[in-house]
Amino acid sequence: MGIRDAIFGALSLTTALLAMPALAAEDAAQRKDLAAVIALNGQACGEVVSYQEKGKNDFVATCKDGNRYRVFVSAEGRVVVQKQAR
Amino acid sequence: MTRIVGGLFLFAFLLSACATPPAPSQAVSTAAEVPEPQAPAAVAPAAVAPAAPEPAKPPAKPTLAKVPTPVAPAAPPREPESAPPEAAKPAGPPPLDLKSLEQQLKETDAIGVLTKLSLKNQVDDLLEQFRNFYAGRLKVNLAELRGPFDMLLMKVLSLLQDKDPVLARSIHSSREALWGILADREKFQKLA
Repeated sequence: MGIRDAIFGALSLTTALLAMPALAAEDAAQRKDLAAVIALNGQACGEVVSYQEKGKNDFVATCKDGNRYRVFVSAEGRVVVQKQAR
Repeated sequence: MTRIVGGLFLFAFLLSACATPPAPSQAVSTAAEVPEPQAPAAVAPAAVAPAAPEPAKPPAKPTLAKVPTPVAPAAPPREPESAPPEAAKPAGPPPLDLKSLEQQLKETDAIGVLTKLSLKNQVDDLLEQFRNFYAGRLKVNLAELRGPFDMLLMKVLSLLQDKDPVLARSIHSSREALWGILADREKFQKLA
């Protein structure tokens, strides 16, 4: 029983550790995507340092310069970038 | 005991399954980053200037490699004085048609999903401007639409040039062909 618990514990820990780089890469790609969209829409940002996912295709991105933008896809299929109060 | 052995097999299987996926993506990204000798800042001119890396490109994108190969043998019989500058030009990728461009932009991993959607919005806006222009609803001349067209192309190139330089060069070399379609009423109406 104890050995089985240890194996499953090791299994969960290893899976979590192996999944972390993949999640980090996904996060970096998402931040780059948001930064590109903000720039494409003519807003100042530079680099997105963090973001929150509010829903499907709905994000609030925080830029390095402190600006915050809501980036979402409207019902008409347009990507909308709205500046948020700091 | 069999449970423990089974657990170990499952563990080993999961390890191998988790370990394998990152390898190809890294290989792809490094392969894409290798052919970047040009300066990253200047988008349009830098994409044309280097003649040396062009012959190495066709294997990377087989769809683009069909046309340019017969052009190369035609250059050597010319005068030796004018041959080097002449030979440098046809080495570039062939101009893309709009369908192929659209498809390659959809498929590239160099741009995120939201960015692609945002670009599509801007392409649609530009096409709407041309539609209004040809319908007489937009009171500008054709030359004034060249600015937004160039700007949009520059945005696309700046997004692609680091991670998908082959597609960036293809788009750059297709700039005049694309403008030729937009600036011609009949061609544009066929497109729309």
